[in-house]
Amino acid sequence: MKRIFAIFLLMLVAIAGTAGAAASPDPRSMAFPPLKFQVPETERIVLKNGMIVYLLEDRELPLVSITAYIGAGSVYEPSSKTGLAGLTGTVIRSGGTAETSPEQLDDELEFMASSVESSIGTDAGIASMNCLKRNLDGTLRLFSQVLMHPAFRSDRVELARKRLLESLRRENDNPKELADRELIKAIYRGSPLGMHPSPESVSLITREDLVEFHRKFYHPGNIIMGVAGDFTRQEMVEKLNRAFGAWKKEPVSFSQVKIPETKKKPELYLVKKETSQSVIRMGHLGIDKNNPDIYALRVMNFILGGGGFESKLMSEIRTRQGLAYNVDSDYSIGRRFPGTFTAETETKAESTAKTIGLMQSIIRGMTERPVSEGEITQAKESIINSFIFGFTSSASVAGQKAMLEYYGYPREYLDNFRKNISRVTKDDVLRVAKKYLRPEAMTLVVVGDEKKFDKPLSNFGEVSEIRLNETK
Amino acid sequence: MKITGKLLILSLSLLLLIPPAFGAGLEEKVKEHTLKNGMKVLMVERHTSPTVALWIRYKVGSVNELSDERGIAHLLEHMLFKGTKTIGTRNYAAERPLLAEIEKNASELMAEKLKKDKADKGKIEALSKKLASLEAKEDAYVLPNEFSQIYAKNGGLSLNAFTAKDTTAYMVNLPSNKIELWASMESDRMKNAVLRQFYTERNVVMEERRRAYETEPDGKLWEEFLAAAFVAHPYGLPIIGWMSDIENLSRTKAESFLRRYYAPNNAVVAIVGDIDPRKTVSLVEKYFGSIPPGRSVPPVATVEPKQSGERRVEVVDDAEPELLMGFHKPAVSSPDDYVFDVIEMILADGRTSLLFRKLVVETQIAADISAASVPGSMYPNLFLISATPRSPHTVAELEKAINDELELLKNKPLSRKELDKVLNNLEAGEINSMGSNGGIAYRLTEYEATVGTWRYMVEHRKKVARVTPEDVLRVARTYFTRENRTVGFITKREATR
Repeated sequence: MKRIFAIFLLMLVAIAGTAGAAASPDPRSMAFPPLKFQVPETERIVLKNGMIVYLLEDRELPLVSITAYIGAGSVYEPSSKTGLAGLTGTVIRSGGTAETSPEQLDDELEFMASSVESSIGTDAGIASMNCLKRNLDGTLRLFSQVLMHPAFRSDRVELARKRLLESLRRENDNPKELADRELIKAIYRGSPLGMHPSPESVSLITREDLVEFHRKFYHPGNIIMGVAGDFTRQEMVEKLNRAFGAWKKEPVSFSQVKIPETKKKPELYLVKKETSQSVIRMGHLGIDKNNPDIYALRVMNFILGGGGFESKLMSEIRTRQGLAYNVDSDYSIGRRFPGTFTAETETKAESTAKTIGLMQSIIRGMTERPVSEGEITQAKESIINSFIFGFTSSASVAGQKAMLEYYGYPREYLDNFRKNISRVTKDDVLRVAKKYLRPEAMTLVVVGDEKKFDKPLSNFGEVSEIRLNETK
Repeated sequence: MKITGKLLILSLSLLLLIPPAFGAGLEEKVKEHTLKNGMKVLMVERHTSPTVALWIRYKVGSVNELSDERGIAHLLEHMLFKGTKTIGTRNYAAERPLLAEIEKNASELMAEKLKKDKADKGKIEALSKKLASLEAKEDAYVLPNEFSQIYAKNGGLSLNAFTAKDTTAYMVNLPSNKIELWASMESDRMKNAVLRQFYTERNVVMEERRRAYETEPDGKLWEEFLAAAFVAHPYGLPIIGWMSDIENLSRTKAESFLRRYYAPNNAVVAIVGDIDPRKTVSLVEKYFGSIPPGRSVPPVATVEPKQSGERRVEVVDDAEPELLMGFHKPAVSSPDDYVFDVIEMILADGRTSLLFRKLVVETQIAADISAASVPGSMYPNLFLISATPRSPHTVAELEKAINDELELLKNKPLSRKELDKVLNNLEAGEINSMGSNGGIAYRLTEYEATVGTWRYMVEHRKKVARVTPEDVLRVARTYFTRENRTVGFITKREATR
């Protein structure tokens, strides 16, 4: 009896102690008022020349911004002229227009504090503008000129080429960027997706190539824009028609893009660098957005290595073992073409093999054992509850709508996103891990000083050394 | 005050960095409230989305470290994600004695290792083993990352922190119905932080140092450059600490730093987004109001002596050349600092800036160029020009070309149009920066903590508008001198062989 009483007293102390320390509800079980949120409505219109525009009025700040997606990309450039798309994207903006010299274009825009930018990536061209409302007419006029009538003045083509060559000279200076690049090249080898510019390919590109690349793809029917900011719908439609109305619709054709083969065997690459820390990258070919398993994969990768501190890779390799500052995985869902699965970290040379082994076994573990109830709840709630952060500015909402249509996502994609995540089960996670993770056939890239490694890389398989071009 | 360019190694972040700019149109929008314990709360209502950015900025940074605790401000920032007496642990009462044992063991280990050649290797091995086994025991009580898990589960995004020279900040974005979660978590962290798994996290920070500085040529140059530019002021020391500094940091030191400075009177809070300021104030009062104030952070007493001749630093590395050029200048909000803001924009902001036009477009000596005031702002700092030579042009050619441009700036007055361009860009920058909850919170806390008032954001452009062409000539002549210059550059290793 006495003993029981003593235990009871201790418990009281413990409870009182907890209550005293927090003096408030437990953050783990706190209740919150409901959150009101709907995906913001944008209006979709089609200009007479076929250009698709998403409009979103927002009067909070006297600003207007436009993001345009243009159907183009480096996958459509000839392999002998790798770098052409990127260069075209740059010089569309920097090379002046038929009406305005490059110097005048820069002067006018910067005096108004307006920005107009252009680039072409792997599977899209992007052009954007941002200005104060009072400078809308002047900026929109220059933005439309840049898109429709870039002049590609030859000295600016040469300048862009020289700057690109300089960046190629420097592309091995940073071991992390070097490893990222070599992994992507290896995963996509044999496909335009894996092409990377070289001094030779960049030197072969002519001004006429740029003109032709622009002529081929930059047509109103091949452009989707998101427009947001301080305007009335009517006024903006008129302005857009005035700016782009004279631009005639023309058909655009796209060459077939060769998709790389899925590798059956592991590959292992070493790049020697005398550094105190090794860069570790691994991965394989992934899937595209038309795959019905993208939601389960999103949850799976969140648990594996996409969910920051909560992920398995981070918890084990950083938090528990202190082997790395940065460690994560990414199952990127390809939009037009297959994406990649990649996992990355950096660790001191002396723990290189140990860390590679840990990463491989954590990835393999995903395909062998189901995740816990706690892990899947944590992942799903994190993804669902943070969904609203995709809509924190009207410019990003309009831009996102344009992007989703550009890549051919279903209209209801955003509306159904949270529901689709909430349906994912533990079984789904294990099933997609088994189906879409290939720990037995990963490509591994390591940049570092092999002399200092804890074990030779050959423990993981046959090593090929990538020798960096030393003539540069 | 503007930070641009690729050398953004100004602050160390737990995960990644936040881009800054400046703000306006907000004079009427900011609501201020100061708690009795001295904690300042700044609020801005924005209902664009049902989200809120929540920031706590402490007026303490790496400059406030003592010589045997270099790196502790940053390591402590990492440690403050390890939980509290109730979060991140299965049983704190049982965990506590283990923490003490770990600390005792780790101190003995550090002391033995410090003997270097005279150290007892057997003792080191035994202590290391013991430490590992104690840590494994402690692991059994730890719920790893529970602190961040709670935020994430509730939709928290961008949970992060960074340590700068002058200040340290902790931030998260939450759905706006969950402000109370933040108040509960952060008041608990302010009162009851437990620095568990310290020595594992110290290893993480060493990996962070290797990643950002030792294997990154730009990072290495940055460290060496600052160390040369400042011989006395702690602005010359790396925030993360030199490797040997980190190796000798202890939980005791971290706790001492925590107790010394992390009090509400040294904290500035910004809450920006979909909020009701009245309700928000009462929540903050409820959770933070009872936390007692501590002493305020004393200013750094050391004054950097006047430089008396050019300093040059070379980093030989497996990388292409880079150039840094720095000139000592006064701290933020001193009269000449506004002139430097004009100079920075005129020289290197945008495609029409003087250096970009001349060196990148016309002579093509440089591939890129930028300018910024670094590495902190509360104390006299540096005006930095960083530039990338374009092969076959050399660092020496580029250096001469930049100096030639600076000479021009000393002699040729700016036109009204050039100054108007600066003001237009400041205005647009301010308005653009008002479009993000996190961006507003960053700047409110930055200026409240460093200048002493967030109103600096409102007054900045007015002060810049008073800068005359003569001011620019005078400031350029005063500061852009050989005696006041530090030059740092990378030389490619093979070129030295």
